[in-house]
Amino acid sequence: MSIGSETQAAGRLGAFDLRDPPDMDGIRACVHCGICLPQCPTYRVLGEEMDSPRGRIYLMRAAAEGRVGLTRTLVHHLDLCLGCRACETACPSGVPFGRLLEATRGQIARRAPRPLGERLLSGALLGLFTHPKRLGWALGAARFYRRSGLQRLVRATRLLAPFNRLRAMEALLPATSPGGHRPLPEVVAARGKQRGTVGLLLGCVQRLAFPRVNAETARLLTWAGYEVLIPRDQGCCGALHLHTGRIDEARVLATHLLARFGREVDFIVTNSAGCGSAMREYPHWLGADRDVEAFALKVRDVSELLAEADLPLQRLDLTVTYHDPCHLAHGQRVRLEPRKLLAAIPGVRLVELADSDLCCGSAGVYSLLEPEMADRLLEWKVQRIAATGAGILATGNPGCLLQIARGCRERGVAIEVLHPVELLGRALPEPERNGWR
Amino acid sequence: MPVSSHALTDALAGIVGKDRLLTDAASLASRAVDGALPAWIVRPESVDDVSRLLRLAAEERLAVAPRGSGTLMGLGNPPRRLDGVLDLAGLAAVVDYEPADLTTTVQCGIPLAALAPRLAAQRQFFPLDPLDGSSRSVGGVLATNASGPLRYRYGTPRDLLLGVRFVQADGTVTWGGARVVKSVTGYDVPKLMVGSLGTLGVLVEATLRLHPVPEAEQTWVVSFPTAERAAGLLAAILDSSLQPNRLEILSGTAAARTAGAAAVAVSFGSVPEAVTAQGEDLVQIARGEGGQVVTAEGDFWSRPWGFLADATVVLKVAAPPSEAAALCGEIQHLATGIGIVAGILGEAGNGVLHVALTGTLSAAEWESRVIGALRARVAPAGGSVVVERAPREVKERLDVWGPVEPETLALMKRLKSEFDPLGTLNPGRYVDRI
Amino acid sequence: MALAQKFLRDLEAIVGRDGLVATPEGRLTYECDMHTFYKGAPDAVCLPTSTEQVASVVRLCLEARVPLVPRGSGTGLIGGAMAPYGGVMVSTTRMNRILDVDLPNRCATVEPGLINLWLTNAVKERGYFFAPDPSSQMVSSIGGNASTNAGGPHCLKYGITVNHVLGLEVVTGAGEVVRLGGKVQERPGYDLTGVVVGSEGTLGILTQVTVRLLHAPEAVKTALAVFSSVEDASEAVSGIIAAGIIPAALELLDAPIIRAIEEGIGAGYPKGAGAVLLIELDGPRAEIETQARRAAEICRDRQALEIRVARDDAERALLWKGRKEAAGAVGRLTPNWLLQDAVVPRSKLPQIMREVVAISRRYGLVIANVFHAGDGNLHPLICYDDREPGQLERAVQANEELLRACLALGGSVTGEHGVGVDKAKSLTLQYAEADLNFMARLRRVFDPQNVMNPGKLLPSHPACGEAFQPAGTGRLPAGTWV
Repeated sequence: MSIGSETQAAGRLGAFDLRDPPDMDGIRACVHCGICLPQCPTYRVLGEEMDSPRGRIYLMRAAAEGRVGLTRTLVHHLDLCLGCRACETACPSGVPFGRLLEATRGQIARRAPRPLGERLLSGALLGLFTHPKRLGWALGAARFYRRSGLQRLVRATRLLAPFNRLRAMEALLPATSPGGHRPLPEVVAARGKQRGTVGLLLGCVQRLAFPRVNAETARLLTWAGYEVLIPRDQGCCGALHLHTGRIDEARVLATHLLARFGREVDFIVTNSAGCGSAMREYPHWLGADRDVEAFALKVRDVSELLAEADLPLQRLDLTVTYHDPCHLAHGQRVRLEPRKLLAAIPGVRLVELADSDLCCGSAGVYSLLEPEMADRLLEWKVQRIAATGAGILATGNPGCLLQIARGCRERGVAIEVLHPVELLGRALPEPERNGWR
Repeated sequence: MPVSSHALTDALAGIVGKDRLLTDAASLASRAVDGALPAWIVRPESVDDVSRLLRLAAEERLAVAPRGSGTLMGLGNPPRRLDGVLDLAGLAAVVDYEPADLTTTVQCGIPLAALAPRLAAQRQFFPLDPLDGSSRSVGGVLATNASGPLRYRYGTPRDLLLGVRFVQADGTVTWGGARVVKSVTGYDVPKLMVGSLGTLGVLVEATLRLHPVPEAEQTWVVSFPTAERAAGLLAAILDSSLQPNRLEILSGTAAARTAGAAAVAVSFGSVPEAVTAQGEDLVQIARGEGGQVVTAEGDFWSRPWGFLADATVVLKVAAPPSEAAALCGEIQHLATGIGIVAGILGEAGNGVLHVALTGTLSAAEWESRVIGALRARVAPAGGSVVVERAPREVKERLDVWGPVEPETLALMKRLKSEFDPLGTLNPGRYVDRI
Repeated sequence: MALAQKFLRDLEAIVGRDGLVATPEGRLTYECDMHTFYKGAPDAVCLPTSTEQVASVVRLCLEARVPLVPRGSGTGLIGGAMAPYGGVMVSTTRMNRILDVDLPNRCATVEPGLINLWLTNAVKERGYFFAPDPSSQMVSSIGGNASTNAGGPHCLKYGITVNHVLGLEVVTGAGEVVRLGGKVQERPGYDLTGVVVGSEGTLGILTQVTVRLLHAPEAVKTALAVFSSVEDASEAVSGIIAAGIIPAALELLDAPIIRAIEEGIGAGYPKGAGAVLLIELDGPRAEIETQARRAAEICRDRQALEIRVARDDAERALLWKGRKEAAGAVGRLTPNWLLQDAVVPRSKLPQIMREVVAISRRYGLVIANVFHAGDGNLHPLICYDDREPGQLERAVQANEELLRACLALGGSVTGEHGVGVDKAKSLTLQYAEADLNFMARLRRVFDPQNVMNPGKLLPSHPACGEAFQPAGTGRLPAGTWV
């Protein structure tokens, strides 16, 4: 890390300390051209400089130069960022916004005091979403809540109306599909000629909220000629921790995950865009280690591997539209493969979604922490989805799946929201039967 | 303190020389503005002359009318005051011409016809073609915002004037704009001077944007039984990728050189292959719209427009381009209804119609049944009717420019009083008689 | 805080709580546009949503004599959208609707905050486009384009923004709402539309813009001519124009810029080239075929190493992406830069480019070039590193020398970026005192109390006679000329 002429006194970089501060070269690469502005969801909604990537980088720079502290207002503008990284796609100068944001959030998480309620909430959310056991328990409770009639009561009485964040959490519930999938085995053999071996990341939310997505991923990979290894006790990739500035916790989780995936696999496959994006960033956060770099280079989104395969897809007469998950399109630059795959299903008519790579507002736990902004983005998203006239919306990230399904349901837009692998699974000759294969 | 008229002529002669000061009755009569006789005419030979003359005029509280070739001196309201005429025909030099820059700097008194051959030798031209002829001076064309059929492709004076030297009412010589084709240094002062009828300053030197002469050019004339029937063709051309030089509508006496009561004349200028190819496309569209197509003679555009010369009243009517054909038809009906004859030549693609009306009506009838009626017709869409020529008794009944929105007019009046507080330049002749 | 609490409450009453930015952190992000050298934060930022709100804000500021600074997307290169004297910044980003598209009359009326490219996107399926295409068009606003009279590569054939603005709604510095021009192409009276376009917010704040739309040409051909030196490429430019060919665009990019673009965007520019010309012809198919042949001959006569023609829309789009994002990619080349926008007569292009090379050598600074060669509109980027002592001073001197060289050849201080605070002092190189005095008086007609964007566009206010008393706190960096 090189440090410029900025205030660097007594082991400080302006308002930052020297423990994972944002990279000054990255900040200085911003030439203030503004090309990122129209790509930024919060700028699109608010039209305010400080809620744009350029403005946020400017605030980071001002903090590094000691012109501003990590104040409540500064923190608020950084909190409002979805971390969608659309600005990175747009940036001609290559500013690594995601890393700058994560580093800044790391400083804020450690050093900027927040109200107790906020700390408890974000801690609780992370504790929940990144621990599959706890999440499983919570979903069980949620099922009780729904079946017992409590949900109807709560909604009818608008009991949660004054509590935006609780309401947002409650609203996501019906999308979570019931459990009952048998766990996947540790090894699944390839069909036909084997192309290679892959390790499958199950993902914290994916494995509980959308177990069928993992099952279909494994099944499709075997059809594509891959032997699929599914290590037990994978833990969490640390993406949500990273995005909320809990960098040290993310490091611990990442180190654990790395150890669970042996070197023998050709690829580490994920069907969750957020996880894939974070795993590709491991070398930045874990340091220049050969194993870490090798791991990151092996990370693939499931759509990348399937797009190269020759799947025996059968006819499905459907109109489908596709939403780009931010961490797939912007975080991993994967845009064409999912579209190519969907269009490869005979009978499928793929219609483009306007602003398909504009964030839906989910953004990890963002929709629960910043429900107002998330709702406005969701509103835009649903309007554009409705305008396509498609019967199915496909998107490859659990957060987007939950958020968009909820948005369409609440607004009465009749559309099925699926992960691309679910749709591909339907097109395979033998349909998946409650479990896998 | 005012000087005597004798002392004044001495002072004027002292600036321009005796033989460039005219005070004889015949000369004065020939330079009358809307019947107002000037007391003297000066013909300056340099920018410095103009500056000194205007300083003198300002000091003596005199009213001056600048004059180029005199072609369009009838434009504007009758002067509120008129003491002298500033005849700029003597400022007619080409100051600078570098063909590779596609620009030239000229003195404003130079007639278009005198500039054209020099440019043509380099296969270039200045693409302003006012209907009233190439005898007009560059300064006059700019000050009256004149243009013709070629505006469809090349624009109007505002698009072609890059830099301008002018003399303010107090004699201050001022430059605005640049000598290069692209400049945003400071305010776009040339825009302010275009069409200002010399009311803010006297134009003396202009840097003009030039264009290469197309290698080949051809005009097609599509005739229709009525102007309204031309609407479909005009809309189809506007909604196509054809790139005409000119897109004109002709009706009534203006259509005399065509086969119908109305016609659309379209010219293409390009490399020969592109002229032919676009012509073929045009013919196909035109036949589909029920028009009768012929190719025009080479001098179609350069022959004088007789229908204008004979007219009693000439109007410039501006409306949204999509209304051009319908408006032409309505004007023909209006004319027939009150027993006058109309000839209309219009830049249909720009929505600007030159309307020549011939007939015997009372001043009140011209005012209410013709001009007033047309103004009422085009007003809702933001259109305008400028009376470019009319008998003095008609002009005295109305504002030849037509109404300007009050807030905008207030701003224009502030401009006038800022730059010509004494009313030296063309007092009374511009909008709302400012 | 320079503004009274009462004043802020009044502002809030006009634009609402969420339409007012008054926090130090928020205001800080508005302290500069793309020219980050000039910094001056406003005391408050308003984000109005209607003409009425803009008018009320202007009147309130007039009453309190508080400076007003209009701002669009903040992509200007001249320090135009910053507040040297503080005051109230009016950001038009929330006024971004398309109000009317009238294709039969080939025009549209939009709010000023609408992003340039969004207008073309809205009409391109129907075969139309908005011609002014500043390189920032994917982000800059039409109001900002009109205020600075922005140019762009295709202005060579189609003209700059003013040639495409038919009408405006403006809140003047006197607080009046005036409508100038409109759909109808001729209006009696002075062409105030033409005067307000390019006035950089010193005469008023635009609240609506009526623009011309053009029909897409029948065909487009884009080619890249590769040269071993900038001089050869410049000769080719002069040759093409002199041959009577006016391409839609004729852009010159030199070696350092090609390197930055290829590292950043990978647009397929040949990395080893000394210079390339990006040539685009559009129009009737038969016309551009002939012209392309001739342009290629001229390039070969001037020692072109290679001429590549884009084979499809995707290749053309990539070449243009490289060109349009070139300024943004400069961050890969240098930490700091000064950007010149001077114009020379087109016949003087080879001469001035030799001068650029000489100045670069003399000052020991890299000068990268990416510019509208067909118009003679230079954009030398003088690269420096503010962490190296003395570099900034050398860059400033090199910049000044270059500008004087352009003007000595009969050029202009700025071709399309505008004046702002950056070039205000340079106006005296192009205009005499009388000329500037005329402009100052023109300004006073629209803005009698001198509240509109003070410190911009003109070197001083010769006509005012009295010094302007800023109501905000002066935050202009030392050495800045206003």
